Amino acid sequence: MELLKMTDISKSFSGVTVLSHVDFSVEKGEVHALLGENGAGKSTLMNILAGVYQRDSGQIVFDGENMHDISVQRSEQAGIAFVHQELNLFNDLKVYENMFLRKEILTKLHTLNKGAMIARANELFESLGVDIDPNVLVSELETSKKQLLEIAKAIFANAKLVILDEPTTSLNNNEIDHLFSIVRRLKEQGKSFIFISHKMNEIFTIADTYTVLRNGCFINAGNIADTTPEEVTKMMVGNSYSSEGVYQKRELGEVVLSLEHASGQGFEDVNLQVRKGEILGLTGLKGAGVSQTMQTIFGARPLLSGKILIRGKEIKHENIHHAMKEKVGMIPSNRKENSVIPDFNLLENNYISEHTLSFGKQYINKKKELEIFDKHKQALNIKANSPEDMILSLSGGNQQKVILARWLTTEADILLLDNPTQGIDVGAKAEIYRLIMELAEQGKTILVNTLEIPEIQKIADRCAVFYHGHIQTILPREEINEELVMLYATNVKQATEVKNG
Amino acid sequence: MDNKTVKTKKSLGSVISSYSFVLIALGIFIVYLIVNGGATTWSGVMNIFRHSTIVGIIAFGMGLAIITGGIDLSVGSTLCLVSSFSVVIFNATNSILLTFLFALAAGAVCGGINGVLIGLAKMPAFIVTLATMLIYRSIAQYYLRTTGVSIYNMNGTLSKYDAFYGFGQTKILTVPAVAIVLILVTVLMVFIATNTKFGKTVYAVGSNERAALLAGVHVDLTRVLVYVICGLLCGLSAFLWMAMNGSVDPATLGKSNEMYAIAAVVIGGISMAGGKGKLLGVLFGAMSYTIIDKIIASLRVDALINDTIKGTILLLAVFIQIMLPLLRSRAKAK
Repeated sequence: MELLKMTDISKSFSGVTVLSHVDFSVEKGEVHALLGENGAGKSTLMNILAGVYQRDSGQIVFDGENMHDISVQRSEQAGIAFVHQELNLFNDLKVYENMFLRKEILTKLHTLNKGAMIARANELFESLGVDIDPNVLVSELETSKKQLLEIAKAIFANAKLVILDEPTTSLNNNEIDHLFSIVRRLKEQGKSFIFISHKMNEIFTIADTYTVLRNGCFINAGNIADTTPEEVTKMMVGNSYSSEGVYQKRELGEVVLSLEHASGQGFEDVNLQVRKGEILGLTGLKGAGVSQTMQTIFGARPLLSGKILIRGKEIKHENIHHAMKEKVGMIPSNRKENSVIPDFNLLENNYISEHTLSFGKQYINKKKELEIFDKHKQALNIKANSPEDMILSLSGGNQQKVILARWLTTEADILLLDNPTQGIDVGAKAEIYRLIMELAEQGKTILVNTLEIPEIQKIADRCAVFYHGHIQTILPREEINEELVMLYATNVKQATEVKNG
Repeated sequence: MDNKTVKTKKSLGSVISSYSFVLIALGIFIVYLIVNGGATTWSGVMNIFRHSTIVGIIAFGMGLAIITGGIDLSVGSTLCLVSSFSVVIFNATNSILLTFLFALAAGAVCGGINGVLIGLAKMPAFIVTLATMLIYRSIAQYYLRTTGVSIYNMNGTLSKYDAFYGFGQTKILTVPAVAIVLILVTVLMVFIATNTKFGKTVYAVGSNERAALLAGVHVDLTRVLVYVICGLLCGLSAFLWMAMNGSVDPATLGKSNEMYAIAAVVIGGISMAGGKGKLLGVLFGAMSYTIIDKIIASLRVDALINDTIKGTILLLAVFIQIMLPLLRSRAKAK
């Protein structure tokens, strides 16, 4: 019996189409995997179902009822529960308080009937096979327990359909098994699940059916039993992306950056050698440890064991200044939080790092700074009226170029770019990649972390694929293709031997 | 691709809203002229500067602290403690120079304690300086009790007394010497804020601490330095207070000065959220409050109404600062 049927759903944001005529349906009592790359439209589709966004066109029938306008409340009442990746729990409230928020059981005197609520919560946890004490603070629970609490909350609210958005990202294998056993038990009771994940092995363990989206379009749907991880990956990726001639073959220099059995928060035993002028792509699913590795090279996170050598010299990793002095620069991910000084103009944003290196000379020679900034502005094609413009008045791509100029001004040779094209439109993305290529031709060594493999294909000499905090494989340029990278990144394929050099 | 950038040509409206502190001070000054009428004198106007000196200089330190996103509630008590002990030092040494150096050093130490606790130990600025506010004044009062007198009095029989006290009263080309010190401090602080790398880091820390850190700014040290500078300026104020008054009553000196300093900073257009604002505004903010004092004195109304008016002006000033950009963006939208 069909529980949910979404037909011909379209949605665009300020002129950009993110979903176009998508069909999606879920049967009662099944686990349905919703698959697609980043930006394929999965989240938008789910947010429409949960009432966060309004669809532009299309029809939604849930449990036999035609849903015209869906608000978050309406969706909840109908029996749809969305367990977000960032869990929506109140950390400072107790477990039962979270469960009964706005549904509190009251005594005759209209005070809270804590005993009844705790008993009811215990009952539910027992029936689900979940081991949580209703009386502890949510902040004291492990992530996996929080995940289960969210699901329990949904079941308690009588949800018929639970959307799980990448629920296993921060869970270990035992916790994943436990989660899956609970999902199976609830499935037998007739509950349905939509399971969003990139990890093929999990999808093939838990899901019954699947739907693949790509670039906002419906690609295929069917039974998991009738397909293979390789086939599904191919559907997600589509025709292999052409690498459009940005790449230039270059002579690489000596090794300038090497990691020897480096371990830190979120990664373990990473070995890497990067040559002067090389562009190394790094990729991995969320939480695979790429970002942490980069931050550790820069000194923003502590190195727990192993060595990081820059031009053969071991550097201290207490703060970023040692790396900065060794001409290392980093563009962190999440530009708004980690890079941009919002109250500064372009010139000030550009010079903030150089000022640290030349702090001994306090006076700011504005004339000279303007000259140098102008050079970078031309070279990077930063579109702005004046260096005195506030940085927030620029588009995302131009902001990112100012941040890139910040490190060029410090004359950094080794650039660590963590998701440099995040939140940047397509045209500006291409420009940033052209710039990266140019910089590498000038002899800069560049590490790029991105989840978008076509971008790595465009520029990288090699690609290191991370999974669960270690390097699965390092692919030479000729072997980089989206499908293969995905297979390694999702641990379908394990490297027998890590190629290095 | 979006190549367009928002135009940032400075419109009259944006100039007005970023210099609203001048308008406020000017408005209050006009009221002063009207109230005083023919009785307005040049020396009366100069006195406005003279009486803005103590709070004005302190408010520059407060301004820096607020720009980093912090606050320094201990400024009034630091002023009190430093000037109390400076009196003791002067009476013991009969040296203006030693007294001056002691005042600066003691101020820097008081500020340094705040700075280390806030910058390095990462304790909240509000709490740290609330605690030191209590501690510093208490030390000054406690020590006075052990000497058995009721106020710290500079010894008028010392040979350097006349020169010291005289400096507090003297005028250079009709301008009070202490007012010249205030102007010099203003020039220096505005220069530091706008033309030095340290000045930029102060703003960067308040604007986006995380980004500043990842851009290489020594965030911790910047915080420590800001509170040290704030303490130094309190020390300078303490020295000037002695020159102007010759005695120190630790029970009252500097009481509520932290509040007036914060008000001066806010009227001066510096954002309490940090990262934004011009230090020049602090001078105007401090003077606005002094002029209000003068107006009340001329009107011969009860001085106790003073804080009602000051509080109201503060609310009005902040209201204007919040409403102006809103009105402008609404006008733009039309």
